[in-house]
Amino acid sequence: MRKKLNELNFEFKVQNPKDFPAEFLHYGVVGSGDMEIIMEKKPLGGAVKVKVLTPVIGFEEVWRRVLNRFVNDTGIANASIEINDCNATPVVGSLRLRQALSELKEVGNVQ
Amino acid sequence: MSSRWEALQHQSFLECNARQRATALVDPDTFTELAGPRDRLSSPHLPVLGEAIQFDDGIVTGVGLIGRKPIFIASQEGRFIGGAVGEVHGAKLVNIVRLARESFDGMTAKGNLPEERRPAVVLSVDTGGVRLHEANAGLLAHAELIDQFQDCKGKVPVVCLIGGKVGCFGGMGFIAAAADIIIMSQNGRLGLTGPEVIEEEMGKEEFDSSDRSLVYRTTGGKHRYIMRDCNFLAADSIAAFRAALRDALALPYAALDAQRRIGSLEKVEEQLKLVDLCVKLAPKDSKDVWKYAGNEDPGALVDMTLDTFLKQVKRLSVA
Amino acid sequence: MSEPRKWDTRKTDYLERMSGAAPYIGKGKVVAAPDTTKVLEAAIRPFDRVNIEGNNQKQADFLAECLKKCDTHRVHDLHMVQSAVPLAVHLDLFEVGIARKLDFAFGGPQAGRVAQFINEGKLQLGAIHTYLELFARYFIDLTPRVSLVCAYEGDASGNLYTGFNTEDTPAIVEATKFRQGIVIAQVNKLVEKVSRVDIPGEWVDVVVESPKPFFLEPLFTRDPALITDTQVLMAMMAIDGIYAEYGIKSLNHGIGFNTAAIELLLPTYGEERNLKGKICTEWALNPHPTLIPAIETGWVETIHSFGGELGMQRYCEARGDVFFLGPDGTMRSNRAFSQTAGHYAIDMFIGGTLQIDKYGNSSTATANRVAGFGGAPNMGCDAKGRRHCTEAWLKCGAEFVSQSEYLGIMPRGKRLVVQMVETFGEKMAPAFVDKLDAWQLAKNANLPLPPVMIYADDLTHIITEEGIAYLLKCRGLEERMAAIRGVAGFTDIGLSAKPEETRALREKGIIRTVDDLGIDTGRANRSLLAAKNMYELVEWSGGLYDPPVRFRNW
Repeated sequence: MRKKLNELNFEFKVQNPKDFPAEFLHYGVVGSGDMEIIMEKKPLGGAVKVKVLTPVIGFEEVWRRVLNRFVNDTGIANASIEINDCNATPVVGSLRLRQALSELKEVGNVQ
Repeated sequence: MSSRWEALQHQSFLECNARQRATALVDPDTFTELAGPRDRLSSPHLPVLGEAIQFDDGIVTGVGLIGRKPIFIASQEGRFIGGAVGEVHGAKLVNIVRLARESFDGMTAKGNLPEERRPAVVLSVDTGGVRLHEANAGLLAHAELIDQFQDCKGKVPVVCLIGGKVGCFGGMGFIAAAADIIIMSQNGRLGLTGPEVIEEEMGKEEFDSSDRSLVYRTTGGKHRYIMRDCNFLAADSIAAFRAALRDALALPYAALDAQRRIGSLEKVEEQLKLVDLCVKLAPKDSKDVWKYAGNEDPGALVDMTLDTFLKQVKRLSVA
Repeated sequence: MSEPRKWDTRKTDYLERMSGAAPYIGKGKVVAAPDTTKVLEAAIRPFDRVNIEGNNQKQADFLAECLKKCDTHRVHDLHMVQSAVPLAVHLDLFEVGIARKLDFAFGGPQAGRVAQFINEGKLQLGAIHTYLELFARYFIDLTPRVSLVCAYEGDASGNLYTGFNTEDTPAIVEATKFRQGIVIAQVNKLVEKVSRVDIPGEWVDVVVESPKPFFLEPLFTRDPALITDTQVLMAMMAIDGIYAEYGIKSLNHGIGFNTAAIELLLPTYGEERNLKGKICTEWALNPHPTLIPAIETGWVETIHSFGGELGMQRYCEARGDVFFLGPDGTMRSNRAFSQTAGHYAIDMFIGGTLQIDKYGNSSTATANRVAGFGGAPNMGCDAKGRRHCTEAWLKCGAEFVSQSEYLGIMPRGKRLVVQMVETFGEKMAPAFVDKLDAWQLAKNANLPLPPVMIYADDLTHIITEEGIAYLLKCRGLEERMAAIRGVAGFTDIGLSAKPEETRALREKGIIRTVDDLGIDTGRANRSLLAAKNMYELVEWSGGLYDPPVRFRNW
């Protein structure tokens, strides 16, 4: 079976949105079992769009849940998120998303 | 930003990622990344093969300052496909060296350039060599890089830092050998063929790759330092590498020839003498060579702390 | 007229066999290495029960190789009774027909071949055991007729010095020798006088100096450089949610990175929590290198070890107040006693697993590998015979809601049995499953029962990255299953959880999430580890720890 890099696309909208506070943010390394994230400010009428590139197939629902929980926990809005994944488990994914956001608190506007 | 830079100084160089190394090796708040994740110059080949990509294709390139010296820095990410060199990755490597040289040309065109302002190339190497998925492009990049090194002669010094988990292997092994100065930590490794491949080709009796102590005795920083394959040995911290880098860059350009491993008839003859020595000595282990170099208790060198090692060690000299 | 029964046939048989071996036995009990196979052919009869010593660490590898070389006309269809089958030669014996039946406890690297040979009819499985259970049967129905053991030193009288890696030897030798069996020992070195008499010469029949020292596997060594942020997070949860909560002073850590992370967090996170002296003071544990920082900072009062970990010998022998050293100053491990301690004298077992089913049964068995159990079932269960009390044991018993169904109003303690597992393992394999792969293995390998390492009725707690499920607080199977679903994250099992159910369990304190436990996830990273790599462990030990070569990166 031919391998391929899968593209998953999601859109979320939260109840009490907080605009993504930076222009651009990058976090992480695409090591084995890990992932990197770009978050960018984007006018989406309060929504969040996420694009995931992953070599793993069949876990779209898990990704949806992980991202949905992240978006709801943080309330972020008007942002575009791009993820390059290399077999990260949900726990690593959630951790990296949280760590990416905490970068913002540390350094203010990044890049 | 500066407190982040401060904190990184104390971190293990081995454990830092490529971006952390690049940012923290140059002076605080001076690093500007070029062709970074924002530009999304990822590999066009990997998705076709179903492999994960990285926005910067596994290498951080940019410009910073050390004192008044412009530093053109490339820092390989060993955790992404073992830091292997693909098309975009290779192009970024080649171009950062070219940019350094062109900057030098531009700066000298305006008149006399003080030594402290002479640009330098710093490569933090953490790679297994050519990325097999993009083998042709990777190999081409190696050729182009050596070409750039040659064009840099008489213009900008090229310094290699080796202290990551992957080390410096494959084609990048001989690229590093062509640099002016190599700085390693004891955890860094410099070689050509990887240990597993040696074992596969030559058998476990000849080289047991699971014996990591053997691997480090054969390719690790301490051994390379004794053999004069590397010029400086630094502790495993960003600050230590930075300090060694500053010492290396403080050398006048004229002194670089003495630091190189190749590039002159004298150097070639030295290497030939080493080959003769190898035949004569027929060492079974690096420790045999360390002993020949004048180290009475070669075994003790392995676990020695860096400070003690640097004070005590006798490096190999072929007359 | 019938003949009166003879009552010493075993002895007669023993003498016959030894007379066959006599030509090869030189000074005292010494046999030269090249003659070993001949001695085995004389000492062993077809269909014998034979033990080859070897457990997690040391292996009587030379004797195993010699056994393989035996003439299959003289030696065949043996019933192997041994703790583990980690070496290729152990399974080769079945391939060539020297061995036919196997009773053991741990598969290791050969686990796949065990399954395969069962299928092909080359191996008839007796049963998979836990170590202490197998030793117990050596004294009832699985007594070895001939045992092949290994030791550091032996002398011409047969005295053996087993020292740091004593492990199974005393149990094997006692069972064998005191039923008129034959004990053959390979030693690293033949000496005039052994450093210490661990096995008296009268109990040993043959001593052979092997060409190479016996094989030693550093099975319990974990490189701190490989510990992940997630493992640090779960270690913080364990320390706060269980160790501190119950005051766990006596314990065993199952093998793995999860427990290694806990060990490395004691001097840092444990110290912050002011827990020194209150937890982790008494251990039934192999000498884990990752426990060095905790030992050095005064957390540990005593450790008794099942075996010896390669590279730790000098360290252990320099820490006489903590480890079990003889009058001569060297350590002696003892698996039988340590496992007994692990069963009766510790308040908690905590370890990892590959799979947990929706009921809470856990197993490391996969469809095609007969992994075995090791020591986990012995320690990962409630010791019903225990009578002495500790705070932790009493608290656990008091929380065990179902106890009254069996005991009425009678109070009783209970051992904590904790499984730590990330909801998804390598390659996104879910840890929580509807049906364990063990069922498939039972089918593939013709086993009478699915091999379960820890049964649901012994399991008291599950820790995942989502939270801790306090299963002992659940009333009935349904509530337990709901608690498991509540911490099973985004696996199918976890996705089938009803949010109201999970919320209700949280309110009852049956599930405590990371937030409920008050864990600062921002701090859950490797910088919290007391040692981040092997080199730092060596530094902590003052240079006494000597990591095996495969762990060195300098």
